[in-house]
Amino acid sequence: MKRAIAKRKVLALLAFTILLDTFPYYALSTATNGTGFIPLPAYPYIWVAGVFGLQPLFLNFTAILIAASAMSEEYEQGTAELLLSKPVRRNDYFAGKFLGGFILFLIILAFNILLSVGSAFTFFGPQASLEILPGLFIVQAFSSLIFYSLAFMLGELVRRSSLAYIFSSAVFFASFIISGYLGLIYSLTGKEFYRTVQIYLPTSPANSLPVQYASPLLPQTVGIVLRFVGADNTIVPTIELSVAILLAYTVTAIVLAAGYFWYADISRRMG
Amino acid sequence: MSDPSSQGPLVLQFQNTVKDYGGKKIGPVDLNIGNGEIVGFLGPNGSGKTTCVRLMLGLIRPSSGNVRVNGYDPISRHVQALNHVAYSPELPNIQTFLTPTELLTLVLHELEFKGDKEDEIKRVLELVGLIEYRDTKVGKLSKGMVQRLSVAQALIGNPELLVLDEPMLGLDPAGSAHFREVFREFATGGKGTVFMSSHMMNEVESLCTSVLIIHSGRILFRGSSSEVIRKVLDYSVVTVEAQGLQQETINSIKEMPNVSQVTINNQTIEIIIKGHEDIRPDLSDLIVKSGAKLYTIKTADNMLERAYIEALKKNGVDR
Repeated sequence: MKRAIAKRKVLALLAFTILLDTFPYYALSTATNGTGFIPLPAYPYIWVAGVFGLQPLFLNFTAILIAASAMSEEYEQGTAELLLSKPVRRNDYFAGKFLGGFILFLIILAFNILLSVGSAFTFFGPQASLEILPGLFIVQAFSSLIFYSLAFMLGELVRRSSLAYIFSSAVFFASFIISGYLGLIYSLTGKEFYRTVQIYLPTSPANSLPVQYASPLLPQTVGIVLRFVGADNTIVPTIELSVAILLAYTVTAIVLAAGYFWYADISRRMG
Repeated sequence: MSDPSSQGPLVLQFQNTVKDYGGKKIGPVDLNIGNGEIVGFLGPNGSGKTTCVRLMLGLIRPSSGNVRVNGYDPISRHVQALNHVAYSPELPNIQTFLTPTELLTLVLHELEFKGDKEDEIKRVLELVGLIEYRDTKVGKLSKGMVQRLSVAQALIGNPELLVLDEPMLGLDPAGSAHFREVFREFATGGKGTVFMSSHMMNEVESLCTSVLIIHSGRILFRGSSSEVIRKVLDYSVVTVEAQGLQQETINSIKEMPNVSQVTINNQTIEIIIKGHEDIRPDLSDLIVKSGAKLYTIKTADNMLERAYIEALKKNGVDR
């Protein structure tokens, strides 16, 4: 954790979070000032723009950035060799690396939510339905596990942080883009096959679950804000299926990473 | 090569151990290291030294055969095997944002150290001469200081087996001498065992009770420095420092039994003798009786290095 914080990458992520959670609200308040662009009844729910708007891209990508280097950087810098030459259980080391990075991610996630609410309050006045935030925090954390676990697994398998970033990002963006195309083809052809494939792509449950959780708990007026940030349409039909797909991807990735870590030799420091 | 000649209870065993990297195979290695030994592990680059060290630390799996550390398999019983084992790598991979105190606190935490952590950290930092730098970031320490810290993180927590990879690298002569004493003290009276991989022959010769020479994954020689020298070399070398030596005396030295070559360099004479007979008593008599002033007479310092080079030559390694 200390190493992660010491790295500028984390500071950059925090700075980026601040930028993404403040400037859009300022711009939005300026743009809507007196125009009715966003109706007055939606003002108390404008916080959802920051919370849901960032999930599809920024939060999943943040999870990838943190997880891809969690194991691989230890090999690259030779610290895995030093740590594992101590009487440390490999399971403990593995769990420590996974959880350490994920806790860091949770801090950024909490920061994102708090900053969104703070900015919304500052530019649009008192916010409502904030009691759902703890539950939403847990759901967003769970949703992000899918790309966190995939990146963590790839980091362990390739043991090079740069390659792990590239492969994980490729999976993420490919899933994101293909999902868009499949949705378009489905809407044009009506063929169920394209819809089914789209549902099981990793980005679909990751982006659907937070909306599926929060929508029933928020008033109808929030729909305007959700539409504004493109988070009004869930791809996966049910919350149960979203959870099941997320679990399947996450557990598979963790099992593969743990199996490889247990059976493969510990790599030496790379130049 | 089997070698059961170890002292005391075994702390380290290789039983027909092979590591196959696909294109390159290390082993089979058979090796027993007993408690209280200071073992110098010598071999050229790529000979298998690091592989053996990584096998004993459970960082890699043997392709066949067994490795036992304190009687346990370092892979399947990692914690039990390495419970009292400490490792100092050649190039210490220590996070630069940590201070020595933070690093050692972390190590004690990993070791689940029960005693007073502050006292233990202070003791070890004083032992390696880093107490003044306890709160300095590792990134600001010199190479020699980082090497000292690497040894410190190995010595902390009362280990019983020290595995050291080039521990004197980057140390000044005073530091090397100090560490020699630290390691000797560590192993005195069978308290601990030191397994030291090194290219510094003089360090190994002066410190180690046992020497291993490895090449192409096979242990070529094992024994004390003098045993290895006798096994490998068919000659010995005596150096004499004297003043006022006459040509007649030098001729007499050349005519001594088994003397094959005499080389003079100012006041120092190097005498090469066939075999390992000790001619020093006769030689000193001869020099003193000639009226010359005899300052020193001793076996050459670099005999282990000569034996090592010769051993490798015999196995097809020229450099």
